[in-house]
Amino acid sequence: MIGPSFPAVLTAAAGGDEDAFGVLWHDLQPRLVRYFKLIAPGAAEDLASETWLAVIRGVGRFQGDERAFRAWVFTIARHKARDWWRRAARKPVQELPEAGLAEPLAPDDPAAAVLEDASTRAALALIATLPAGQAEAVVLRVVAGLEVKQVAELMDKQPNTVRVLTHRGLRRLAERLGADAGPRARRAV
Amino acid sequence: MGADDAWSAEIKRLPFIPDSDPLALDEDLVERLLDGDLRPDQAPAGYAEVAALLAAAAASPTPAELDGLEAALAELRAVTRARRAIPRATGRPGRRRRVRLLVAVAVCGLSTTGIAAAATGTLPDPIRDTARRIFATADDTAPTPATTPGRQPAPSTGAGAAVGTTSEGQDARPAGVPETTAGTRTSNDDPCRASKVGNGADKRKKLKAGTSQAPVEAAGDPDNVTSKCQKSRPDGTGGNAQKQQPPSNGHGRGPDGGPPPDAGSKPGKGQAGPPPNSGGGSPEKGRPIETGPGRT
Repeated sequence: MIGPSFPAVLTAAAGGDEDAFGVLWHDLQPRLVRYFKLIAPGAAEDLASETWLAVIRGVGRFQGDERAFRAWVFTIARHKARDWWRRAARKPVQELPEAGLAEPLAPDDPAAAVLEDASTRAALALIATLPAGQAEAVVLRVVAGLEVKQVAELMDKQPNTVRVLTHRGLRRLAERLGADAGPRARRAV
Repeated sequence: MGADDAWSAEIKRLPFIPDSDPLALDEDLVERLLDGDLRPDQAPAGYAEVAALLAAAAASPTPAELDGLEAALAELRAVTRARRAIPRATGRPGRRRRVRLLVAVAVCGLSTTGIAAAATGTLPDPIRDTARRIFATADDTAPTPATTPGRQPAPSTGAGAAVGTTSEGQDARPAGVPETTAGTRTSNDDPCRASKVGNGADKRKKLKAGTSQAPVEAAGDPDNVTSKCQKSRPDGTGGNAQKQQPPSNGHGRGPDGGPPPDAGSKPGKGQAGPPPNSGGGSPEKGRPIETGPGRT
C-alpha cells in the first residue's frame, strides 16, 4: 500500500510524472504478475503490460482512493485475462516441447515446496490447485489486497459467495498442507 | 484406565464430539489469515502452514517480477504527449460550442419575446415605430395595417367629421376589428382605388407614381377619374368595396385590436375620417365615392 501520499502520487502520475508512475507500478506490478500467473499461466508478463497500457490511458479519468484504484486496475486485469482466454480458445492447440520451457510452471509437489522453502512461486502453484473460483478469490484477497466487496464486484458474485469461496479455499489448503505435513513429521521422527 | 495412563493435554485433544471439525474457522479468523495478521506460530492448529503459504504469496517482489517498467514509462510518455496535444485541439471547439449555444438561446428568447409582444400588442412604441419604418421602406406599396386607419385620407367627409361616426361609414366595420392589407393590395391592382389611396396626404408619396397616376392618364383629366371609375363598376355602386376596403373609424385600432400609439388618442383629428370607400357602405344606394384629385 502506498498510504496517505496516494492521492498526490496518483495526480502526478496522471499528469505524466514518471517517478510517481513508478511508485504505482512498483506497488502493483508484482501483484498483477502473480494474479496473472494464477488465472492466465504462460502470459502473465504480457497481460500485465497490456493492463498497464490501459491504466496509463485511463488514469486521467480515474477518481477514488487507493483501494478503489487497486480494484480498478484488477478489473482491467481480469478483462485482459478473459480476452486472452478467448483468443487462446480460438487458436489451435500447439504442443510445447518440454525442453523449450525455461522452467517448470510449478514444482512437482507444490505443498512440499511451500513447506521447504516457502517460495512465492510454490505458494501460488499450490493455490492454483484449488478450484478456479476459490483460487481467484484467495489471490484477490491476499495478493491484490482487495476487500470482500471489491472482490465480489470484480468476480460478479455476492459478497457472501466470496466469503464462502475464500473459506473453503483456506480449508482445502490446510487439508492439503496438513496431509503433507503429517508424513514429513513422521519422517523427521 | 488410571490417571497416569495419559497426560491431561492428550486427553483434551481427544475428540469429545465425534462430528466436530478440527479445521473449523470462524469469519474473524479467516479475515486475519487473509490480511496477514496471523503469524504461523499464532495460527490455530492446522493453519500454521496456511499462514506461511499466504505470507509467501504476498511476499516482496522478486527482480523478475519488476521487469517491464521501461516499457510502461515509454507508453506513459507517449500518452502524456498526446494528452497534452488534445486539449489544445478540443478545448476551443468546446468553448465555441458553448458560445454558439448561448447565442442560439438568446436569439430564440428574443424572437419569442418579440413575437409574443407583437401578438399581444404590448410592443413598445419606439420598437413599433421602427418596425413601421422598416416595413414601409421595404415595401412602399404595402403600408402596415396599424398605420392605415388612423392616417387614412378623408376623401369625402373631410376633416372635422368624427371618425367612424359619419353616416356613410358607421356600419362599415365595428371598431376594434383588425384591419387587413387587402384593401391596400387591391389599390395597386385597381387604378381607381389606387387613385383614391394616392389622394391621401401621407400615402401619396409612398405609392408609385405610375400606379397612382394611371387612372388620371387613362381618364385624360383628373376630374374624370371619379366618374370613370364609377362607370367601370358593374353595379355602379363601388362593387365589393365594402368587403375589400376595410373601413376606418379613425381610432386607429391596430391589427390586434389595440389602439395605435398616436391615432387612438386623437379620434377625429386631422385627416382621419371614414374609409375611402365608406361611401359604398350602402352599396345599394349607389352613392358615388367622393374622392378624386379635387378633394386633395
